[in-house]
Amino acid sequence: MARHWLVTAFLQATVYGLLQGGLLALVAVGFSLVWGVMNVVNLAHGSFVILGAYIGWELNVHAGLDPLLGMFVAAAALFVIGYALQRWLINLVVNAPIFITLLLTFGLSLLFVQGMNIVFSANYRSIQTDYASTSLTFGEVRVPLGRLLAFGIAVLITVALVAVVNRTRTGLAIIATGMDRGAARLMGIRARHVYALTFGLSAALAAIAGTMVGTIGTFNPAAAGGFTLLSFVIAVLGGLGNMYGALLGGLLIGLVEAWAGLYLSGTWMNAMAFLVLVVVLAVRPSGLVGRAYYAARVEV
Amino acid sequence: MSDLNETAVEQRTPRPVEAPWHRFLPWGALIVLMLAMLGLQSQLYVGQERTVTTILMFVALAQAWNIIGGFTGYACFGQVVFFGIGGYATAVMMVHLHVSFWLALSLSGVGAAVFGAVIGLPLLRLKGHYFAIATLGVAEGMRELVTNLPRLTGGGAGITVPTVGEDATTAYLGNDGFYLLFLAIAGLAVATALLISRSRFGFALRAIHQDEDAAAAMGINTTRAKVLAFSLSGLLTGLVGATYAFQQVVIFPDRLFDVEITVLMVVMVVIGGSGTVLGPLLGAVGLQFLSEYLRNHYTNAHTFILGAIIIVAVIFLPQGLVNYVREARHSGNFSLLANVRRFRL
Amino acid sequence: MRSTAAPVLAALTAAALITAGCGSKGSSGGETDSGTLTIGAAMSLTGSLAREGQLTKEGYQLCQQKVNAAGGVDVDGKKLKLDIKFQDDTSQPDVAAQLVDQFNDDGVKLILSSYGSANTQSQAAVIERNGQVMADSAGADDAIFQQGYQRTFAVLSPATEYAASIIKAIDELATPKPKSFAFMSADDGFSKTGAKGGMDEAKKLGYQVIPAQYFAEGSTDVSSAITHVKSDRPDVVIGTVHLEEGVAIVKQSHELGLQPMAFGETVAPPTPDFTKTLGRLANGVLGSSQWTETTAGEDKYFGNAKDYAADIEKEFGHPADYHDAEASAACLAMVMAVEDAGSTDPDAVRDSLAALDTESFFGTIKFNDKGQNVYKPMSVIQVQDGKVVTVWPTDAAEGSFMWPATGS
Repeated sequence: MARHWLVTAFLQATVYGLLQGGLLALVAVGFSLVWGVMNVVNLAHGSFVILGAYIGWELNVHAGLDPLLGMFVAAAALFVIGYALQRWLINLVVNAPIFITLLLTFGLSLLFVQGMNIVFSANYRSIQTDYASTSLTFGEVRVPLGRLLAFGIAVLITVALVAVVNRTRTGLAIIATGMDRGAARLMGIRARHVYALTFGLSAALAAIAGTMVGTIGTFNPAAAGGFTLLSFVIAVLGGLGNMYGALLGGLLIGLVEAWAGLYLSGTWMNAMAFLVLVVVLAVRPSGLVGRAYYAARVEV
Repeated sequence: MSDLNETAVEQRTPRPVEAPWHRFLPWGALIVLMLAMLGLQSQLYVGQERTVTTILMFVALAQAWNIIGGFTGYACFGQVVFFGIGGYATAVMMVHLHVSFWLALSLSGVGAAVFGAVIGLPLLRLKGHYFAIATLGVAEGMRELVTNLPRLTGGGAGITVPTVGEDATTAYLGNDGFYLLFLAIAGLAVATALLISRSRFGFALRAIHQDEDAAAAMGINTTRAKVLAFSLSGLLTGLVGATYAFQQVVIFPDRLFDVEITVLMVVMVVIGGSGTVLGPLLGAVGLQFLSEYLRNHYTNAHTFILGAIIIVAVIFLPQGLVNYVREARHSGNFSLLANVRRFRL
Repeated sequence: MRSTAAPVLAALTAAALITAGCGSKGSSGGETDSGTLTIGAAMSLTGSLAREGQLTKEGYQLCQQKVNAAGGVDVDGKKLKLDIKFQDDTSQPDVAAQLVDQFNDDGVKLILSSYGSANTQSQAAVIERNGQVMADSAGADDAIFQQGYQRTFAVLSPATEYAASIIKAIDELATPKPKSFAFMSADDGFSKTGAKGGMDEAKKLGYQVIPAQYFAEGSTDVSSAITHVKSDRPDVVIGTVHLEEGVAIVKQSHELGLQPMAFGETVAPPTPDFTKTLGRLANGVLGSSQWTETTAGEDKYFGNAKDYAADIEKEFGHPADYHDAEASAACLAMVMAVEDAGSTDPDAVRDSLAALDTESFFGTIKFNDKGQNVYKPMSVIQVQDGKVVTVWPTDAAEGSFMWPATGS
């Protein structure tokens, strides 16, 4: 019995941690992209996630739209918002020291979070579906369908993102601008537009992640800060701007939290995640997958 | 990262010969200001003592961050860890060891400084963002650690400093007492920044900010300078945290290690003008006053408005108020629009 | 540095000295002769407690409305208009404490509490040293009342009762009786105290108790706690939690195949968000509530519980939440104490609060020597078909107790 439980519990925690990690990766991947390409730490990223969740929720409640479809609408909306923000606001200070953009996005996050508080109220929401809490059973290990879906979407989108960035002209423009903006502009790339595209893309990814978060759990505007912090940790773990790195970082954090919860206590989960962060930084300052910082900036 | 300070240093290089009294002017101003604040407390105004006390606290915090973040250019994103350590060290010592507040305050300050040196040695090897995140990780990790030692720290339920009855080791200072204590700490922080800004040590820190390799080549022991700056900044922040804990009576890990407090320090320093003595002072007074005002008058939308104001300030004054005024005086060009153009893509 | 610093510092100094010239320190007086009674309330209107803070504010607002509609507060024959000053503490305990100090600086001595035990605990310390008086609407943790404070009075039942009442209800009503209770708790003071109270009660009644699994306050992933608990196959799972964790327990238990006879949770189940976010999974979950529409008692301002619920529905467009009610009750207690004292002097109000013993829409309001209201029972509710139904105490029950509760 005891050994049996140990094995089952370990498997269960591992599966759960991996699924959770995949979703966290999707939350973080856009954040990492923006940081890597433009050297902007976007403190408003978490509020994009929550805004995405609200859009998904509104569509579900008022139009009966399944979140799997709603997430595309949310992504489109956030893309437009993100594009506009970068094009007409953040671009104004994008050459300033990093603290300036940090402050700007901090101001944006105050604006967004309190704005959502006023518009949607601070009530907790969740997007209702028939399938999200059903589980598949393998022996005694249960795999929740909603989380599995979210995980699948996260991995799929990350892979697709890498493909887009590596194989399309726009994607290559993003990489080139991230590597050397001056040279890219000489080649005829419109850096302002490319930056705005990148930011819009990042916001769209956050919106998709947000819709998934809303489907498998609860959210309200105050949850935004937590997602920003997680993105921070995961992006650094994976190496900035590295999309596969973000996936790996997310999975690692998911696993560490699940195992810490199982073997220590639920209260140690975050402590272990930050311990891993500090250790990785001390041993491999450029992240798990990255190279030295600037060389790794847009390593895709 | 260095645009901001290059200009500041360029101006400083052709150093004009000054009247001897000129050197003492800032000190004189500081002393007069302190005296004025003393006067302000004892007889001046109605009903805002606590507000001013909080402003003084943030002056000290902003100035402390300025030493590592502004002068040295190391973006410490986990500065609040010193605040939390100072606060919890004081509370734990007063509760479990029954020491007086004054002893606990001193030990907490020293403890925060030592902690700064210990984590500074490995972490200050990291550059730029990585330093920022590593310190953030330390602060968040420390919060979790404190939360998970309930026997010692009370955990998530908080810890109460004894202020009444037999367990009270030091009589509660009262609002007047905390006003004076925070005034003293704020004065100490400003004086420290003034001292640093005109000393060889300060020039070493600025050199590190500009180009660390070049500074090392010039014979500056960069590791020692950085660790010293970090530790000093930790000391000041720790003192504030310790006083804050006694003032609050009850403290909770979520607040004592709240990343928002770090962000506030950074915002105040950057808006005022980082790497200057006056900037953080103005930034802290201005921002704290503003947020109090907004909270009083726009109870439901104050963070919204504050966010908008920060955005506008950042767009128009990216180098901070003090640096802007200085540059504008230098060049004779006060146009804010030119200012916006400067970092635009 | 010196070029800019010196003149600006000089200007600052001058400004400080000029301010120094005008006015002298003193109390501006919260209660003015213009016939208003000012009460201060620092609320969590933004930040993590904004939802509960909003409900608390509604409760205070309704109280102000009702009292003023009845002509105001009767102080020694003179009718004073009630004026509650709201401030936002951004859900931070230190800001909540600071605001109480600021009220004191402005001469406002009578205070209504913020939401949550952490905020209230910080406020209580300030209240005590400033000689103010606070009616506490939402700080239930025993830690607040173990400090020897004399000036904080909580209208609500203490934290130890939250889980214990659910266990009492199950013990009284369930057939077949469960054998074991497992506990899950957030790690904040209120939740831990609640878990302890629940475990003591279950032991006292002779049940097998599986010790609490703790997780961080505000967690939305409690899967590891569930994995632990699942191996013990408990008959009942008790969560001492707030809304987010409470939703996560039910949702993730379902995902992970933990199916006890019943879930019982503090705070979360009576709130509309709980049933909305969980849908049919919420069915059968038991919860404890400070107040329900069937709570017995009435008073001159609010009438009975049914009237109160109708008023909240009318004013704010949603069913009454117990967070509304406890806020109104705290305000009511303060108003009645002022009327009893015939004075707005904080010491007099404190004494009459300590002596208060009255019936109200909220039930009995009466305080023990620590300032806790232990004279009012908590109600136990059960979510049945998406509706919150009072099932215990039996004399206030609206519907029958569904057992085993997790049938669906």
